[in-house]
Amino acid sequence: MTPPTTPPVSQRPPAPVLDLDKLLAARLQAARARPYLATALFALHVVASRQVPTMGVDRHWRCYVSPAFVDRTPVEELASVWVHEVSHLLRDHHGRSDRVARERGLTGPGERLRMNIAADCEINDDAFGDGLVEPEGAVRPASLGLPDGELMEEYLTRFRLGPHTEGLAWLDCGSGADGLDREWELGPDGACGLSQEERDAVRFRVAQGINGSPGSAPRQWKRWAEEAFHPPQPWRELLGAAVRSAASGPGAGEDYVYGRPARRSAGLPGVVLPSLRRRPPRVCVVIDTSGSVSDTELGSALLEVAAIARAVGGRRDLVTVVPCDAAARVAHPLCRSEGIPLLGGGGTDLRTGFDRALGTRPRPDVIVVLTDGQTPWPQSRPPCRTVVGLFPRGAAAYDEEDPDYVPDDPPAWARVVEIGAAAR
Amino acid sequence: MPTRTPPDPTDKPFAPAGTARPAGPADPAASQLDVAADLSALLRDSATEPRPDTQLEALTLAVAADLPVLLWGEPGIGKTAALTQLAASLDLPLTTVIASVHEPSDFSGLPVLGDDPAVQGVPLAPPDWAVRLVRAGKGLLFLDELSTAPPAVQAALLRLVLERRIGSLRLPPGVRIVAAANPRSSAADGWELSPPLANRFVHLQWTHDHEVVVRGLGGTWPRATLPRLDPERLPQAVEFARRAVCGLLTARPALVHRLPSAEARRGGPWPSPRSWEMTLVLIAFATAAGSSRDVLSQLVRGTVGDGPGLELLASLDRLDLPDPETLLADPVAAVLPERGDLRQAVLDGVVAAVRARPDRPRWDAAWALLVKAVETGAPDLVVVPATTLATLRREDWDVPVSIESLAGVVALSRRADRAAGRATARIAATTRTGR
Repeated sequence: MTPPTTPPVSQRPPAPVLDLDKLLAARLQAARARPYLATALFALHVVASRQVPTMGVDRHWRCYVSPAFVDRTPVEELASVWVHEVSHLLRDHHGRSDRVARERGLTGPGERLRMNIAADCEINDDAFGDGLVEPEGAVRPASLGLPDGELMEEYLTRFRLGPHTEGLAWLDCGSGADGLDREWELGPDGACGLSQEERDAVRFRVAQGINGSPGSAPRQWKRWAEEAFHPPQPWRELLGAAVRSAASGPGAGEDYVYGRPARRSAGLPGVVLPSLRRRPPRVCVVIDTSGSVSDTELGSALLEVAAIARAVGGRRDLVTVVPCDAAARVAHPLCRSEGIPLLGGGGTDLRTGFDRALGTRPRPDVIVVLTDGQTPWPQSRPPCRTVVGLFPRGAAAYDEEDPDYVPDDPPAWARVVEIGAAAR
Repeated sequence: MPTRTPPDPTDKPFAPAGTARPAGPADPAASQLDVAADLSALLRDSATEPRPDTQLEALTLAVAADLPVLLWGEPGIGKTAALTQLAASLDLPLTTVIASVHEPSDFSGLPVLGDDPAVQGVPLAPPDWAVRLVRAGKGLLFLDELSTAPPAVQAALLRLVLERRIGSLRLPPGVRIVAAANPRSSAADGWELSPPLANRFVHLQWTHDHEVVVRGLGGTWPRATLPRLDPERLPQAVEFARRAVCGLLTARPALVHRLPSAEARRGGPWPSPRSWEMTLVLIAFATAAGSSRDVLSQLVRGTVGDGPGLELLASLDRLDLPDPETLLADPVAAVLPERGDLRQAVLDGVVAAVRARPDRPRWDAAWALLVKAVETGAPDLVVVPATTLATLRREDWDVPVSIESLAGVVALSRRADRAAGRATARIAATTRTGR
């Protein structure tokens, strides 16, 4: 990770032999400083290579090490580099780079360098300290003028290659960091690589170790461990799926009925066939919020619901909105511009919102509630499907007059989607 | 990289149609169609090459085990092509039913009114393809586009998948059923399984391999060699599968049944006694076929879910590791795993075994094993087991002579200590200067 000096090949002094003891002493220090990463550190297979500038990893968990780099770097810095490189693999930076490259159409070595830099930013903002020094020349988000604590994908959208990144052009953590195969790497058929299943097993064991004793790991690693095998789904898709399946399930929208003969019946005398009847679903959105939800969040959730309702065949006049409380401020202009009928606002209690929604004639097929959950819920199940879009509230949300008050969870008959959950 | 198969001798070099055909046909319109047919034939002419395909292997094993499989995959990525290949290799006629263009009565049976329904009842007539399947006695039934069918059709189809009934017909045991669905992010009407239904399927994620598609469009499609069950390994496979599942569930009773609570995991695989039984069957099949861990991983995670599946695979890894007691009994003959993390797990296990039942010969044997580990692999792995083992020493036990071989380990450990000390000092210094 230190910028290498690169004299022409012919003038180079004879390269030293890899000082394995020094490298392994560094690994031992790394494993002591970060015990939860020990399994992953020990699973790496060391390959001495004169072509890699410093240290790099490939996606098969081989670690390529330049003997000259080991020679000139102190043990304590090597330990930090070990942790840095293994972090690329644990966080699946190669797979995520490939996905980003496909999704955003990023091609060429320059883009891969950007991915390497972004991946380094994701790791380095909290990898060092507490027993590990920061190696010379490590890329920090701050050095690019970016905030700490974000993901590689987010950093990627925030900077371009330019004069301020020129000093980073030497950066090369191998295909394990950015997904681009290097010529010195042994490839999938080479010896001592880990198969996909073995890699998953190692990552799983590390995640289990962090989840098992969460006290010792920094926040970013805890987040990684929680999400490593259950990546959070984007709330738009979840909300969409919940509303769609509520609106197109039996009893709402289209389905087969025996009430009228099917058109096929003419060809099959004596056979009673059901016919497909279509009744566009009516969706009623109840917005209940104490005002602490940002207008943008609320507005995008409302627009999302309206768009989904239209997609399942509802017409604009079949989507109604019942704003409660402060939400009227957002609901009014949105409904006006979208042509959605608005039912009078008011009411501080979600139950009045339910009553109002169920009081409309004809009755809605689906009620979508957008709420922060700090509310009493109806005692009995409403006579239609209910989807709850829940704006998550941290520990900060509590009643000052009654600190022991814990708001009820949404009832079991509702399908709950957390809105605003991080999406990769 | 896949190797190219020798070119098919029937491959014709490309020749412009005009030069290959006799010139001046009587009907110009017909000749244009002939040329078009030639062009189509040339386009269809493609070679195949052997290539391992874990997802096809997993599908084959699940189908062979006669468990209901649900393929999840975006539209148009070759699920149908895979099923065609599978049917050919299993020697089963393939029947594809596109669920979304059918009506529920096509699957539950069409009610036919007889002369006197009050006396004879109303029979439910099955569709022709079902009758053909029953008559053939075997076949591969592929229910495509399950997720875009209206809910009533899906309900009828699930009865077919799970109870194998179509109207009054019951599908013979030789018929295997595979269903396919689009993931809900791309499904037009976002149908999803309820948890009880999801629990009855082996969920396989079907993805395309970029390289395979590009090579295939270039004229060379992969030909997967499908797993063959080895008759001699059957008892051993059953024994292994039972040991694997029972071993894990004995140690982790909480994993036996865990209904998914999060919205994101509804409709996917989750652990229950039923899905564990399916897992057991699949492990036995994969073992009998000698399949790789990657294949097993897809099957197990597709049956009980990622978390429990990975735990099972991790405990299989431990089953594969040498038993500490065997190693202690004969340290000279011991073979330690090559991979560092596994080797460390073995050494930790050995030290734990000595701690559990400490006596002099076992303590000496453990030192011999550590020496062996240093001689055959990375020394840093040995530091923690050696430190722990040293603390187990009783007063009257002499330090074995062989321990001198561990001098390098001690030096390595000291070196790491010194580096850690320097690191702490450096961090303290930068903090003071307010960096």
